[in-house]
Amino acid sequence: MQDKLLVIINTVLQNRGKDQVKRIKSKSHLRNDIGFDSLDLAEFTVRVEAEFDIDIFEDGIVNTVGEVESKLDK
Amino acid sequence: MIMALFFKDKDQVVDWDTLISDIQSEKVYNPYCKSQDYYSVFKTIIISMLHGKEIVLVDSDFSDSELETLTGQTTFSSFNVDLDPLDPPIVSKSQLIKGLNATGEHWKVTLYTSGTTGIPKKVTHSYNSITRFVKYSKQNRDSVWGYAYNPTHMAGLQVFLQALMNGNSMVNLFHLSTEDIYREIEENQITHISATPTFYRLLLPYHKSFPSMQRITSGGEKFNERMSSQIGEVFPNAKINNVYASTEAGTLFASDNNDFTVKPEFEGLVKIEENELIIHKSLLGESEMKVDEWYPTGDIIDLISRNPLKFRFVSRKNEMINVGGYKVDPNEVEEYIRMIPGIKAARVFAKHNSVIGNLICCELVSEDSQLSEPDIRAFLQSRLQEFKIPRMFTFREKISTTRTGKTKRS
Repeated sequence: MQDKLLVIINTVLQNRGKDQVKRIKSKSHLRNDIGFDSLDLAEFTVRVEAEFDIDIFEDGIVNTVGEVESKLDK
Repeated sequence: MIMALFFKDKDQVVDWDTLISDIQSEKVYNPYCKSQDYYSVFKTIIISMLHGKEIVLVDSDFSDSELETLTGQTTFSSFNVDLDPLDPPIVSKSQLIKGLNATGEHWKVTLYTSGTTGIPKKVTHSYNSITRFVKYSKQNRDSVWGYAYNPTHMAGLQVFLQALMNGNSMVNLFHLSTEDIYREIEENQITHISATPTFYRLLLPYHKSFPSMQRITSGGEKFNERMSSQIGEVFPNAKINNVYASTEAGTLFASDNNDFTVKPEFEGLVKIEENELIIHKSLLGESEMKVDEWYPTGDIIDLISRNPLKFRFVSRKNEMINVGGYKVDPNEVEEYIRMIPGIKAARVFAKHNSVIGNLICCELVSEDSQLSEPDIRAFLQSRLQEFKIPRMFTFREKISTTRTGKTKRS
């Protein structure tokens, strides 16, 4: 699953002309480590939803890759 | 083309004499007019005017449940009434037009707004309010209209009345293919078209020019400069003008470019608040809506001058997409996307998003199979603010439009 998330994260980064990341860890912070702003987060949620059919922000802010994974694991 | 043509729709050709004889021989009238056949709708409207009877125009594609909600019934045969013969009988086109001009104030037409936001609204107009912008003139006598609206909608009704009262011919173009539209224009030497920008957009660009066209009128959506210049190439002799009309108010303003000037007779009946156009209720038809003294149109404008009141339309208020507190005008974004070589059509819309309220998305039709999402993004990044750039692009075969031919927003 982390591989799929990495692809989605890099698509969003590439779309904004930002540097892509080589790998992500569960404790990677979406804003501070990966460099997402709110628009990026919005796009990220839509793309994750398209892939996994789950709205990860539906009941509150998600900050790290690990938190995303646990939402998707449910 | 036969000069006495009243209406042509593909293989159906009706001349004025046939129209007159059909009107004379009609013995029964039903005020609810619902038909897929445009000629039948036109004929029923004419009969209602000549006999001074109210008419209710119902879209032919309304479902039974929509009909039930709007009119309280799904079938209308119980409303049939017998018609008395016309006295004096009408035997010529000029008598017919004279008779129509004598339509009294008791005649009323009811129609339903196209209702992109939910249930259509019912609006009733008198002869005076519906013909406010119909121009009679000898100059218009030989006009041939390309008919590009639904006849049971406000814009279609107005084009019909303009053509009818001047004794013009009409050729249906609505729902035809681009090639068929151009063939009809050429074969029938069409001189006038009034349509939505979406209608024109699907005609453009084109490699041929049609000198017969004298006037191109656009309404319903913003008409941009690039399209104006492409239209100029296809119709080199045509004047291009814009009309501002709504089902609630009928046609209110017309303009030869993007700037609208409020005519002296409307002074004091039009005002602007927070960039929104507000019109006085005396300019509206009768409606079931609760209307205060002033009616907010939902149209966002740019004020050019106060005296005389002059303005330019920017967008529809409810079309603005809120992205994390920023307002995005989908028309503006579409305009830039259409500048990209190879893009044939674009639709910008909002997708609900739990992070920022709405995410801007876009459907496109591209003729260039090499064109990729990063290319489009790179083009837009140098021209639009980041929050206005769609975050999701989908390539499609065609763009979905609403019943009236406008671009769908949701």
